[in-house]
Amino acid sequence: MRWAVPEAEFMDPGTLGCQGCGGTLSMRLVLKELGDDAIAVLPACCWSIIDGPWPVHALNIPVFHTAFETAAVVATGIKAAKQIKGKDTTVVAWAGDGGTFDIGLQALSGAAERNEDIVFICYDNEAYMNTGIQRSSATPLGTWTTTTPDERPEPRPKKDIMGIMAAHRIPYAATATVAYPDDLSRKVRTALAAKGGMRFLHLLSACPPGWKMAADDAIEAMRRAVQTNVFPLYEVRDGREYKITHWPEAEVDVADYFSLQGRFAPLLADDALLNLVRNNVRERWWFLVERHQQSLRKASSPDGAHLH
Amino acid sequence: MSTLNHVDDYPEIPVSLASTRTILKTGAWRSVRPVLAERSAPCSAACPAGVGIPAYLQDIKEGRPKEAFAALTSRNPFPRITGRVCPHFCEQACNLEEKTGRDSVSIRSIERWLGDETAHLPHPVPSRETGKQVAVVGSGPAGLAAAFYLRRSGHEVTVFDRRDLPGGMLRYGIPDYRLPTVIVDEELARLEAMGIEFRNGVALGSDLTLDDLEATYAAVFVATGAGRERTVGIEGESLLEPGLAFLEATGRGEVALPGDRCAVIGGGNTAMDVARVLRRLGAEVTVLYRRTVTEMPAIREEYEHAVADGVTFKWLTLPRAVKKQDGKLIVTVEDMWLGEPDESGRRRPMPTGVSRELRFHGVFSATGETADLTPFPDRLMSSDGWLSLAENGATTDPLVYAGGDLATGPATVIEAIVAGRRAARAIDHQLGLDRLWPEDNPIEVVGSAEVNPTYVPRHDRTADHVAEWAGPFAEESVTMTDAEVLYEIERCLSCGHCNACGTCFVFCPDGVITWEDGPVIDYEFCKGCGICVAECPGHAMILVNEREVSHV
Repeated sequence: MRWAVPEAEFMDPGTLGCQGCGGTLSMRLVLKELGDDAIAVLPACCWSIIDGPWPVHALNIPVFHTAFETAAVVATGIKAAKQIKGKDTTVVAWAGDGGTFDIGLQALSGAAERNEDIVFICYDNEAYMNTGIQRSSATPLGTWTTTTPDERPEPRPKKDIMGIMAAHRIPYAATATVAYPDDLSRKVRTALAAKGGMRFLHLLSACPPGWKMAADDAIEAMRRAVQTNVFPLYEVRDGREYKITHWPEAEVDVADYFSLQGRFAPLLADDALLNLVRNNVRERWWFLVERHQQSLRKASSPDGAHLH
Repeated sequence: MSTLNHVDDYPEIPVSLASTRTILKTGAWRSVRPVLAERSAPCSAACPAGVGIPAYLQDIKEGRPKEAFAALTSRNPFPRITGRVCPHFCEQACNLEEKTGRDSVSIRSIERWLGDETAHLPHPVPSRETGKQVAVVGSGPAGLAAAFYLRRSGHEVTVFDRRDLPGGMLRYGIPDYRLPTVIVDEELARLEAMGIEFRNGVALGSDLTLDDLEATYAAVFVATGAGRERTVGIEGESLLEPGLAFLEATGRGEVALPGDRCAVIGGGNTAMDVARVLRRLGAEVTVLYRRTVTEMPAIREEYEHAVADGVTFKWLTLPRAVKKQDGKLIVTVEDMWLGEPDESGRRRPMPTGVSRELRFHGVFSATGETADLTPFPDRLMSSDGWLSLAENGATTDPLVYAGGDLATGPATVIEAIVAGRRAARAIDHQLGLDRLWPEDNPIEVVGSAEVNPTYVPRHDRTADHVAEWAGPFAEESVTMTDAEVLYEIERCLSCGHCNACGTCFVFCPDGVITWEDGPVIDYEFCKGCGICVAECPGHAMILVNEREVSHV
């Protein structure tokens, strides 16, 4: 096999994810690195359904279904109980963008601020897909959802969740996507190695029905999100040290990403809006490049070791 | 308020303990199913021999050179030779180049490496002798390939050749810097070790006739090549040295340079070889060709090599007459221009009326070769004075087959090999042994629109290296190293052939593909999203409509 992805599976088939579900694949690939000494906490999200209805479930690790706003705090509690029992089990809060950017944000911020020893993973499909594609604060500017129809598409840019997490100065935060499996695997391993504090992974996860595209375009869509710098792959240590982990070979226009998906029809129909988005993407990318270079300079300076 | 001190104090909660596997048969959602489908890669389809290229590349990659050699020799017995001299039709069809604009995989260089790597392996000795005797006349690539396959089928094979050593064009036509004689000798030794008998110095027509052969042998395959030089048809023709004869003489080690300044008339592969040999021997060489580089029939690579060697080309130059004066040859040439395309599709050279005189020490003709058909009796000839031949090389006499340059005119080594193999098959068919040959099922070719080049690494193409100068006839290039071959194979998309890269396994959202040295799809759960097919680099999987799948 050409890939460094482990062969062991910790997710049974028979999940209820839609055809081509990026969230399901995200879970499958992350679990390969987590192994079976782990517990997942699921707030309300697609995965509440995907894991299967009672009395069956798909994951080969214990799963706690919990209320929408509580993923981070329930994970914190479970981790505390495990620690009291002397167990080293990895506790993962696995939430969608709703349970992370919107409804779960308070508990997430609290856990991050206390630097709880948990891994919080957001699989971000950029709207409330499970309930019928309503916009969330992760929905990008100019996007169609059922609550932001073509005539009045999403008016605000996507919330900068990585910036928020970095501002909490947690030991490790990273973006990743299943379209780059080796990068994703490495980041999960890095997160596991950084145990003792809060770790955050932001996974862009395609949703073929919500993104209005063919199921077999799911990987290509996520790949283009990276190639066009709409979703750069990077990691942030201690909220300060930025490192871009994948450098696109050539500048690919954002329209290459948008044109694959029906949800971006309003954006493609409005040149001014498209240009605004294009500039936002560029600005954000150059911000990251600057942070990356700044981090390199600090690391090579004599007092670079004393970041804190 | 109750206290929660004991586990019994907690309320009951529902717990799921069984696997989704037990009841959620998500395969029922599917309207299309992915299936592994071995199809033809464009390289294999473009190869006259139809070599299954991605499959043998995988064998090499996974450390099975013997298996790769067996797969290759089932279609072409001489990878060491074609790995050096083939114009690689395969590489021109590569989907990687078509889809991404990157250079094609250097298949010929990989083939050459495999040929060298397996040079010590004996060819298979037939498990059963048929007790039949078959004669092959001519020991060029067509004759040798026919002998190889006929012997493999268990016949007693005798190869006749008019010269004192076998090998034909491989020995006497292709210069040593492209194909060292030692390699031809080693390949012949391997054929001898299979039990093939070589009888040299026996010319068809003068020393023995087709009738003699038919009296002794169950079948005869004639592949005596196209060795008769076409005349240029100009005044002073007798002053020209025939190019093929010159190549043969240098092949025998009889090097004789007529002087420092030489000219070669013609634009085909023989012209390129003659020009390069002269140049490598130290002469200043000018090729005189009546059309331009675009219309030249020589293989492009041969032309480029000639230019690299320092051969000069005079385009649109038609020799009209040659005469001798003060020990030099004076060639009168007329300048040409290009008119309308002729029946070959190339633009026809038209005279301008402007003539010049050029001086050389020696002038060589290489304007084409034809076959010598005199050994064939009239009963085998068609009304147009040519040999009457079926596609498989059968003549009108059921015991006599023919092929190679004899049938096609000057062509490539691989096309001759194919002719030899095809005739061997036809002879086996005639002798009632067609069960020894697998059926060639025409299979669909994977198009460049279907492949996904995302996952093949982007490093530059690696091929043979240019050798350091070690004399005019020392081999001009060097075989790639083991590491380079493996590195180059990584670039192959493996069109239409699963090379177990694991991409489908990695990207299956539902984990329904298990890995047992290759993908195994669990149709009880596969939802038919099609991601495995879309991401497969070589499109070795296809989606089949469920209605077309028979439910037994």
